[in-house]
Amino acid sequence: MDLPHGALVNYIFPNNEIVWWSILIVIYPYITGLIAGAFVVSGFSHIFKIKEFKPIANFALIAAFSFGLFAAVPLLFHLGQPQRAFEIYFTPHLTSAMSIFGYIYSSYLILLMLEIWLIYRPYFIQQANSTTGLQRSIWYILTLGVTTYHQDSAKIDQKLILFLAGIGIPWAFVLHGYVGFVFGSVKAIAWWASPLQPVVFLLSAIVSGMAMLMVMYTFVKWRSNAPYDYPMIKKFIAFLWGIFILAFVLEILEVLFARYESGHHWEIIEPLLNGPLFGSYVITQVLVLSVIPVILLGYVTLSNSKDKNMLYLANLGSFMLVLQVLFMRFNVVVGGQLISKSERGFVDYHWEIFGGEGVLVSATILAAPFVTFYLISRFIPIFENSVQR
Amino acid sequence: MKKITALTHLYRLGALFIAFIIVFLLVRQWATPSDWNYEVWYRGDSLTEVGNLPLTHGGNESCQVCHADVVKKVSKLRHKNLSCESCHGPLATHVRGEKKIADAIVINQSRGQCLNCHAELVSKPQGFPQFTDEVEKHTTLIEGEVCLKCHDAHDPTP
Amino acid sequence: MKKIAADFDELDSVSRRKFLQYAMSGAATILMVQMSGAAATQGRGKGWKQMSTKHQYAYVIDINKCIGWGGCVRACGQENDVPEGVFRTWVERYVLTEDGVYVDSPKGGSEGFEPVSAEIQKKAKRSFFVPKMCNHCENPPCVQVCPVGATYKSPEGFVLVDHDYCLGCAYCVQACPYGARFINTEKHVSDKCTWCYHRVKKGKQPACVEACPTGARIFGDLMDPESDVSLIFNDSQWMVLKPDMYTSPMCFYVELPREVV
Repeated sequence: MDLPHGALVNYIFPNNEIVWWSILIVIYPYITGLIAGAFVVSGFSHIFKIKEFKPIANFALIAAFSFGLFAAVPLLFHLGQPQRAFEIYFTPHLTSAMSIFGYIYSSYLILLMLEIWLIYRPYFIQQANSTTGLQRSIWYILTLGVTTYHQDSAKIDQKLILFLAGIGIPWAFVLHGYVGFVFGSVKAIAWWASPLQPVVFLLSAIVSGMAMLMVMYTFVKWRSNAPYDYPMIKKFIAFLWGIFILAFVLEILEVLFARYESGHHWEIIEPLLNGPLFGSYVITQVLVLSVIPVILLGYVTLSNSKDKNMLYLANLGSFMLVLQVLFMRFNVVVGGQLISKSERGFVDYHWEIFGGEGVLVSATILAAPFVTFYLISRFIPIFENSVQR
Repeated sequence: MKKITALTHLYRLGALFIAFIIVFLLVRQWATPSDWNYEVWYRGDSLTEVGNLPLTHGGNESCQVCHADVVKKVSKLRHKNLSCESCHGPLATHVRGEKKIADAIVINQSRGQCLNCHAELVSKPQGFPQFTDEVEKHTTLIEGEVCLKCHDAHDPTP
Repeated sequence: MKKIAADFDELDSVSRRKFLQYAMSGAATILMVQMSGAAATQGRGKGWKQMSTKHQYAYVIDINKCIGWGGCVRACGQENDVPEGVFRTWVERYVLTEDGVYVDSPKGGSEGFEPVSAEIQKKAKRSFFVPKMCNHCENPPCVQVCPVGATYKSPEGFVLVDHDYCLGCAYCVQACPYGARFINTEKHVSDKCTWCYHRVKKGKQPACVEACPTGARIFGDLMDPESDVSLIFNDSQWMVLKPDMYTSPMCFYVELPREVV
């Protein structure tokens, strides 16, 4: 294996043997990314008034909320002292990007809950008036005791929803952009340190959220034997394709610049990409999961493909992007830690299956939002045309 | 029965929110450590706590308290720059509260103890005394013999 | 409340949205400027600088004197209850050859070193040992990134960890360019060399300095012109590790060879 700084053998610092940020810290930015991406889709409808997305605006919002409920869970599993997690509210150290997580995340969850509440309030009232017993109590609480829908409430609620959707977009950007900053500001790790990181993370977050929504939408419609909204899908894929190209270009730009500069960063990044990360980055993330979706989704956008054909291609491309972003998170988070601070060797990553930071725990945490989404969908209508007044 | 207006739900939401903020602020007040130093952003007592951690090693000066004669003797010999505790063990295993709790004997008296420093390695400084197993005078004594059979640990000059 | 709602009503929806977006980006900008400003001063800590200028401690290492014994690593382990497999201090061996650089540190050097392979030995042009530890930087990136303030720079210049407050998130471990920090596998908090703060406070030397038989490790107060560290600091050719990281380390290596990272 090629090694930096003329190393004859692979030498890693004695304290570098353990990779401290494991796959739990890979799925954490992945989940917050899904939140940002899903929210942006509902924002496309509410703020940018893209009419094709109106039917999926609520669907996107509830998906964002389901992801949002579990964003902090991987962190709690990872912390050495999880019971001290609340310190982030008491003494946030503002020189650290990570310190704002507590407040940004909580306030964002509140924003999501408020927006959903305002949108579904008429439905809650309707349900409170047409059920009895325990069910009624729950709906009653959700209406905050207001069981009649006043005529003028509609206008006020609409304005508030618009307001929340409006500030929600930059808020979602901070919620996920700060993660990029957390990595990009670590000068000690050449694969992380870059001012592009917040932007790359954010754009790929939007990609992951949109791609995941496409796959979820298709699945839900398929299971409920409902018709697919083909014009919406076409427009959706056009957006996804464009945003992914932007994200991909920036991801590659970083590597290109490092290579061109041929400086300290490249001294370390080149052996990393030729060595431990060759399979998961060069082959899988870039060649398979980036180039192919660009072609597939480009075809869907630019050609006149329609109906079922378009649906299959759209989903294939979207699913590949769902994986691409997951691989990207892995390659950045774990890849960066494979570089020993000795700058003369690379660390082995040991996959844990069982155990607190293992694959099983991560898979469960990743699955939880989908289960939650399903449960929510049993109680409230997800698609716009169901919310009748 | 209170009249429901267009804004009632927002008033109730507002009240809920304010209640939540108050509770949050109270909890935060209670839970933040009282010794928190807001100027430098760390827990002030931590400095004292780290400063008061128990010592394990006493340093050669601590050996002098009871073993002044030995320390004085060794200070004129070859190994005068060594830390007594590096062979005899740390003070904390020997003395507690000014009372001896165990002997400070040298556990490892094998050749390894000496060769740890004195085995020849290309990385060691030139002037430092280094030996291979094939040192002339030792050729008949190599197998399983200890250095201490012939050398004084405090003054190993041959 | 009714008036606010009414006023809000009157604004045109486009300008309302524009106002909100400007307000948000303004807030975000202020937040970021605040943070980078905070970073520029808080890592250095106005507070701690004001609190004490009586001492400025430093560590000096002379690699030409180190014999690779490893007793320093063991002494530190005993003094500070360091668990197996992680190291507050360690010793590396460098063998420079024409074909490249061979570096190793078996068990952090705690049990000394076995000879290198004959192949490497044949090619060796120069070889030496390099003790390493936390550099107690003047501009510590680890302190900057701690989300809750569990690691800090003391008034006397020691970078310390508050074991009762640390979350164990390991961000500081990532941020340290020198690999000096680790997560204590028994306490599940961040840990590292403290220059034996508890010993220095009582007028003693750090355990590793005590143990060193050849004077390769020296510790003292740069504000004491008679101290060994002051004399060496002022007269000798020294260099710090990874100077391009701009962390301003306070561990100075006398005649550090350029191959050492």
